[in-house]
Amino acid sequence: MIVLGSNSEIAQAFVEKALSAGERFSQIYLLTSNRETTEKFAKHLEVKFVQQSQIIEMDLLKPINYAVLEGLTSDLLFCATGYLGLGTAEGLYDNKNTERIIDINFAKLVPVLNFFAEKMERQRSGTMIVLSSVAGERGRQSNFIYGSAKAGLTAYLSGLRNYLFNKKVHVLTIKPGFMATKMTEGLPLNPKLTASPKQAATGIYKAYKTKKDVAYILPMWRIIMLVIKNIPEFIFKKLKL
Amino acid sequence: MKPTYKQVIANWGNFPVVEKEIKSEDSTKKIKEYVRNHHDIIARGNGRCYGDAALSENIFSTKRLNKFISFDRLNGIIECESGILLSDVLEVIVPQGYFLFVTPGTKFVTIGGAIASDVHGKNHHAEGCFSEYVMEFSLLNEEGDVLPCSRNQNSEKFWSTIGGMGLTGIILSAKFKLKNIESSYIRQESIKAENLDEIFKLFEESESWTYNVAWIDCLQTDKNLGRSIMMRGEHAFKHELPKKLQGNPLKLKMGSSPSIPFYFPNFVLNNLTVKIFNLLYYFRQSKKEVKSFVHYEQFFYPLDIVNDWNKIYGKSGFIQYQMVIPKESGKEGMKKILETIAKSGNGSFLAVLKLFGKNNPDAYNSFPFEGYTLALDFKVNSKLKKLVSQLDSIVEEFGGRIYLTKDSMSKSSLTNYLQNVQNPKFISMQQKRIDNN
Repeated sequence: MIVLGSNSEIAQAFVEKALSAGERFSQIYLLTSNRETTEKFAKHLEVKFVQQSQIIEMDLLKPINYAVLEGLTSDLLFCATGYLGLGTAEGLYDNKNTERIIDINFAKLVPVLNFFAEKMERQRSGTMIVLSSVAGERGRQSNFIYGSAKAGLTAYLSGLRNYLFNKKVHVLTIKPGFMATKMTEGLPLNPKLTASPKQAATGIYKAYKTKKDVAYILPMWRIIMLVIKNIPEFIFKKLKL
Repeated sequence: MKPTYKQVIANWGNFPVVEKEIKSEDSTKKIKEYVRNHHDIIARGNGRCYGDAALSENIFSTKRLNKFISFDRLNGIIECESGILLSDVLEVIVPQGYFLFVTPGTKFVTIGGAIASDVHGKNHHAEGCFSEYVMEFSLLNEEGDVLPCSRNQNSEKFWSTIGGMGLTGIILSAKFKLKNIESSYIRQESIKAENLDEIFKLFEESESWTYNVAWIDCLQTDKNLGRSIMMRGEHAFKHELPKKLQGNPLKLKMGSSPSIPFYFPNFVLNNLTVKIFNLLYYFRQSKKEVKSFVHYEQFFYPLDIVNDWNKIYGKSGFIQYQMVIPKESGKEGMKKILETIAKSGNGSFLAVLKLFGKNNPDAYNSFPFEGYTLALDFKVNSKLKKLVSQLDSIVEEFGGRIYLTKDSMSKSSLTNYLQNVQNPKFISMQQKRIDNN
């Protein structure tokens, strides 16, 4: 199994979910920009599941060393790489913030996903599970830079799924709504609409096993986004969302 | 959306309820930063202490310190971060033939909490407190330094932190010893006692058993005062087990548990329903003595089977009143306490009696000392304060003390036994309350 963004709580919860369900991998490759915390996770997997893993440092904001990634092969890839950054109020005209959001969520991520897609295409098998966001479904004034990067990612994943379909590779797009993670700690989120990493992992694992194409974490979000997407633009532009 | 770390929060008894700042981090660097930039901090694990012990102006949640570090499968030594729950540990160790030396009545406490409360179990008379098996832990102190603490290294900090209710710093990780088991089942004998004399006699006869506990019907009076059921147990060897259990002797019972979906309305739990419950419980067992093999989950954690069982006490919450009374006057003290409760009409749904063995003098902040301990749940209502103060007076008269982990309204003379924990950084609402009284 290959994990991009191994420090994400959802990624870690998913790995634990899969192992708890009895799956075993000859190796789990943990790609991360933060070796210290990922090392803790690797030891945890060793103690809890007697599962080997290997840490590979990868920072999307630095040049990617593809030679290191060459040896990584697996039937399953989980990508939780993401960066929320500052919202519109604080960060719209901060170019550094804008670039970071676009790079990590889309621009620098897509070539890496392509790299692994090609490997799976060659081996004619595999599943790519990638976390996008409900924020990508319609640009809202509060965080549309993040939303637009995720919209790009969602469109990319949809095209990739289409392209890889007859090559026996499956692409699963996950659209989490609010999540109770480090990324959102301290934000005033409605608890009824907020999922824990464990809940998310269970939902994602089920979607993986049933070969879903696109999955929301909490069913409520499908309805919320259906409403938001269908508000006519002339009304939407007046709303404070 | 601007971050705000304020949350409405309460511990397991849902009393008191406060709105305070909660923050959680998993990197040591960030935790250090947090400690350097905040005051009035207390670490909080899974919030299973009952009262105001894990509440403060700034609460550091250890829920993200949830990783295992190492497991020496040959010698039965495990190391993990402090936010790991006992249930997480059991999941890993039981299939390997190990068990916790000491466990409280719920497996949903964290390792950090187990050390800070120096928890005890049904085997205190035989095997002592949790700390007996803790080899070392790392503590983040008020300066933001990480201190390795053990019997040989920073031993003063080691012993003051044990039972120190989090007032010495934030426990980050710990290493502790495990007990060998051949099966995950307990050979149990449950024996009915008609009154206080009988149950005390049973405790004295059962000292050679590893695990002893008695459930008491605390609404009985006169000749039935102290009517109870004693449960004693030993880890079963594989060969003792009935044939059908021998196939998978280290079975982990997993599977989903029922949950209490909402706070029960106030009228549900009253004297009459408690009385009926106790009656049913006592007469469910028709024979005087029953021998059986039960899974450890059922023996140690009967209440964990129902998630959120604290909601049955309604929104106003409940307290757990746990005291210890020296052994020589144990029976006399318990008699007075039970009489007072029966007279007050404030029934306890759950009343548990245990015998503590000798305390470890090094672990000077631990609650247990040699004597009888009774734990009672009381719904919070207008009459409760008076009852607690009556009970406190009896406990004081007999030279007893109150368990800080469960305290939220007892007399400070019964709860101020901690030493060497005064600290400018780490303070809980409980400690402030005790200091100000």
